[in-house]
Amino acid sequence: MLRITGGKVHDPANGVLGVVQDICIADGRIVPQVEGGRSIDASGMVVFPGGVDVHTHVAGAAMNFARGITPENYRKASPFIHTPELRAGLGGITPTTFATGYLYAGMGWTTVNEAAVPILSARHTHEELHDIPILDKSSLVLMANNEIVLDLLEAGEVERAKHVVAWLIWAAKAYGVKAVNPGGIVAWKFGKNASKLSEPVDGYRRVTPAQIISSLAGIIDDLRLPHPLHLHCNNLGIPGNVSTTLETMKVLEGRRAHMAHLQFHAYGGNGWGTLRSEAATIAEYFNAHTNLTADAGAILFGDAMTVTADGPWEHVLHELTGHKWSNVDVENETGCGIVSYTYKERSLVNAVQWAVGLELLLLINDPWRIFLTTDHPNGGCFWRYPELIRLLRDADYRRECLKRLPPKAQKRIVLADLDRQYTVSEIAIITSAGPARALGLSQKGHLGVGADADIAIYDENPASGLMFEHPRYVIKGGVIVVEEGQIRAVTQGREFIVHPSFDEQIEAYLRPLFEKVYTISFDNYPVAIERLAQPDIRACRP
Amino acid sequence: MPTLTLKEQPAVPLEAESLSPDVTAALALDAVRALPVYLGKRPQRVDDFFEVEGAAGDELEIRGDGRKIKWIGRGMTRGRLTIIGNAGMHLGAYMKGGTIEVSGSVMDWLGAEMSGGSIHVGGNAGGQVGAAYRGSLSGMKGGTILIEGSAGLEVGMRMRRGIIAVGGQVRDFAGLEMKGGTILLRSGAELRTGAWISRGTIISLTPIRLLPTFSYSCTYNPTFLRVYARHLSTLGFRIPYEEKDGAYQRYTGDAAVPGKGEILVWKPHAS
Amino acid sequence: MGGKVTCTLGEVKNRADFIVYWGGNPAECHPRHFTKYTLTQKGRFVPEGRKGRTMVLVDIRETPSAKAADLFLQIRPGKDFEILTTLRALLKKQRVDEKSVAETGLTVDQLQDLVDRMKRARFGVIFFGMGVSMTRGKHMNSAAILRLAAELNAFTKFVCMPMRGHGNVTGSDMVLRWTTGYPFGISMARGYPRFNPGEFSTVDLLVRGDNDAALILGADPGATMPQPGIEHLASIPTIVLDPKVTHTSRLARVHITTAATGISAPGTVYRMDEIPLPLRPALNSPYPTDEEILRRIRQAVAAKPLWSPAPNATMA
Repeated sequence: MLRITGGKVHDPANGVLGVVQDICIADGRIVPQVEGGRSIDASGMVVFPGGVDVHTHVAGAAMNFARGITPENYRKASPFIHTPELRAGLGGITPTTFATGYLYAGMGWTTVNEAAVPILSARHTHEELHDIPILDKSSLVLMANNEIVLDLLEAGEVERAKHVVAWLIWAAKAYGVKAVNPGGIVAWKFGKNASKLSEPVDGYRRVTPAQIISSLAGIIDDLRLPHPLHLHCNNLGIPGNVSTTLETMKVLEGRRAHMAHLQFHAYGGNGWGTLRSEAATIAEYFNAHTNLTADAGAILFGDAMTVTADGPWEHVLHELTGHKWSNVDVENETGCGIVSYTYKERSLVNAVQWAVGLELLLLINDPWRIFLTTDHPNGGCFWRYPELIRLLRDADYRRECLKRLPPKAQKRIVLADLDRQYTVSEIAIITSAGPARALGLSQKGHLGVGADADIAIYDENPASGLMFEHPRYVIKGGVIVVEEGQIRAVTQGREFIVHPSFDEQIEAYLRPLFEKVYTISFDNYPVAIERLAQPDIRACRP
Repeated sequence: MPTLTLKEQPAVPLEAESLSPDVTAALALDAVRALPVYLGKRPQRVDDFFEVEGAAGDELEIRGDGRKIKWIGRGMTRGRLTIIGNAGMHLGAYMKGGTIEVSGSVMDWLGAEMSGGSIHVGGNAGGQVGAAYRGSLSGMKGGTILIEGSAGLEVGMRMRRGIIAVGGQVRDFAGLEMKGGTILLRSGAELRTGAWISRGTIISLTPIRLLPTFSYSCTYNPTFLRVYARHLSTLGFRIPYEEKDGAYQRYTGDAAVPGKGEILVWKPHAS
Repeated sequence: MGGKVTCTLGEVKNRADFIVYWGGNPAECHPRHFTKYTLTQKGRFVPEGRKGRTMVLVDIRETPSAKAADLFLQIRPGKDFEILTTLRALLKKQRVDEKSVAETGLTVDQLQDLVDRMKRARFGVIFFGMGVSMTRGKHMNSAAILRLAAELNAFTKFVCMPMRGHGNVTGSDMVLRWTTGYPFGISMARGYPRFNPGEFSTVDLLVRGDNDAALILGADPGATMPQPGIEHLASIPTIVLDPKVTHTSRLARVHITTAATGISAPGTVYRMDEIPLPLRPALNSPYPTDEEILRRIRQAVAAKPLWSPAPNATMA
């Protein structure tokens, strides 16, 4: 039992915007009142629902692949020393699993959505998620380059494709569906890509990336999944890709969808030398179309690691930079590419990218539809989110940073003209309430009665001036996990999954197909629910 | 100057990064005695393993067979560190300045990723002299390492700048993935010298096995070598360069990269 | 430098038309490799099966695997690095020294032919075994194959994969990576993970006598280590957990018989392409699992007084 008194509560989901009121907690949830137990005096502090990261890469084959190729990053990373209560680990650009839990919780984030899981290695993802302490998790399985699904779409068998998708989600014990570079990753398996939405995918005669996108969006809506199609558009990172992004959004008209790391998809120009921001164009369309949510995928100057299913893009990046490159193609499903990268202030391209992320966050009007992410670790590390928050809240500081960019960059971006400053409540929306709502996690992102007691408490006016850098308290499921910068308790989080309905007969269809093109037994493909730590099956939408 | 004399061999390696002039210069002797050293996982005191005598000062002397003592002089920026005896792995790693003198031999990773200062080893060294730690893009970026005896594998691996000179023979992969700087091999090397070099100069005073991806370029007496020779002779390391005595055969490589590195092999005139 | 371009085995089955086995003998060491993954299956994009594929075997001696090869290249021992470096140069149309190449047992023409074939492949793969990773050059030989495969992607689709064996070595690599950041050769002595092969890897530690106790699980160093390493193991308290009494058990202080993983104990195994597979035990065993024993050891250690590392245990 716990009571938080005297703090300024920001609970925008329930219309509470900086009002001093008590929060009472019992049995891991917010309750109307409580007798006894500890009382935290939160005077001079703000009380936030715990952060919800709607798009991050923290667990599974892709991240583990990345870990293996960068021992030099780990040597520079913050070490986590083993104690009787805490596991050892390393932070840095690709934190190890235990460190990931401690770092997110240490910032006041309590729920994360692992954005890209191949079904074939979902078992691995769940094993890593099991080793991330404190946080609640969900995960999205990769579907837009699944050759069994693509074959069905090619044959016009959308209904059967729906049952296959549903079966696959349950086999992987996932929460939702991720689409990455639809058609492009399957083309990459013979060294090609899919850069035109209306052209048939390499190796196919009919199915196009546009069809994959609209079919999957339709299937997900039919399955009533809590989270809509989560889409990484074609042509990520390419100058001029604004047209692809707009075209994609038009394909999605009338359907729910979540656009991932929108910053990487908002570029004008026709080459690296003419790269410019088209955030305003994207924001204008986005503002007018309320069927869409997005996460920013903003970049921060400094070291990062690009880890994405978008294999062909990573090969391009490798050829551009000469940096270490790793790639793994996953049979019949997807792939992964990894290239180390550092964003530099003096680089014209990186300066434009930096501005684009911020412009999107400032030009998109509704904080309930645009969320704070860096596509960790692609744009920057998650433990640097407080830096982004500062840039959004302090226009003067933003302008100071702008001055350090190459003069040429100033003509390619509009950031200097933007005066908007996010309010504290708006920060609560883009870091918690909004993502929770978009994910369909109704008990997250707010502090109303019945909500999970996931709470972050920050000093309102800390001496350092950096409000969100060090929470005074972090509470997860009613347990004080962080207090004054120390981890006080380590809890085991839950894994949210869905069980969409599918016709049981679909297995008879899948089995022979599977045995033909895969290299494991069909019976070994689904992940047994016993392998998940604290699985929590969430209902599909009514 | 504090003098530390090893009185007890550690059963397992001792990690002693606190044994560095930067750390000891400001300390009184009792504080030096209390400095932490790590015996495997257990923190101990310097005086659990060393007799500590002398006075506080900018220099530091360590005596004994310290082959199991790792990380001495780590990251040092100034002062003089003298080892009368042997030292273990990572001696002078990340060094930025100052001088290290060793009368005996050292283990692997001598001067790894150093950026300045000088190291002189009277005996032999292990492998990875002046090298990059695994995964790092570059090894040493400056400074001088002189080894009178032999050295092991991957000497100067991925070094960017600086000089490594070895009197005895070195093993495979000297100058592996070199990016710049100079490696001098008085007694040559075993196999795969200069493998995957992109830039830099390897000078061998005796014939040396080369990879198939190196091509003969010319035979000459490069001007820069006179300058080098003069510099190295002040450090006690003599290399021939006079036209009357011979010339250097120049090989370029490694074509696998393709790199712009060079290997110069001394060819004395037939007498 | 660094990096790995690879795929899962099903990609090889469905797409690969050019397969190179380097330093391995799959016919004897990975007996189902040809039939399950690389040669005989009708792949989605290789419907002709064996006829649609070319297999090249590179090894120092003619093993039974050579019978399955379309081209067998016999090379002299310890020359893999020279050959791979030459291939990288030929790929970039650079000059190489003929006499030097001839010392490898192959000619420049043979190597040029191999490069041309690789470039012409629609999807090529190099599988490399211990013949590469354990021979003079060691990790640099593996690095050479990784680099060559990556560079071939400028011309066509090409991947490589290590032929791993010995129980769940890949699984160990995976778990260590996600919990510590490093695949092997890790020291936890300062309370957090540090990595340095050659300093912390098993054979080096044992040969130098750098440890004063050993817990051996799923391995038999007493049979495979150099003699100084074996002698050291025998001189320190050594504990072995194994389903069988091994060479190491015979020089150990304690041997605990445990259930055989995969046969009597459940878990997850990671295949050479890092795909996880569930292990469903088929038989019961009277012995405890490795996991049970380790948990009990941990509990017993946790009951002892704490020695915790000092607060400033990190290297600055």
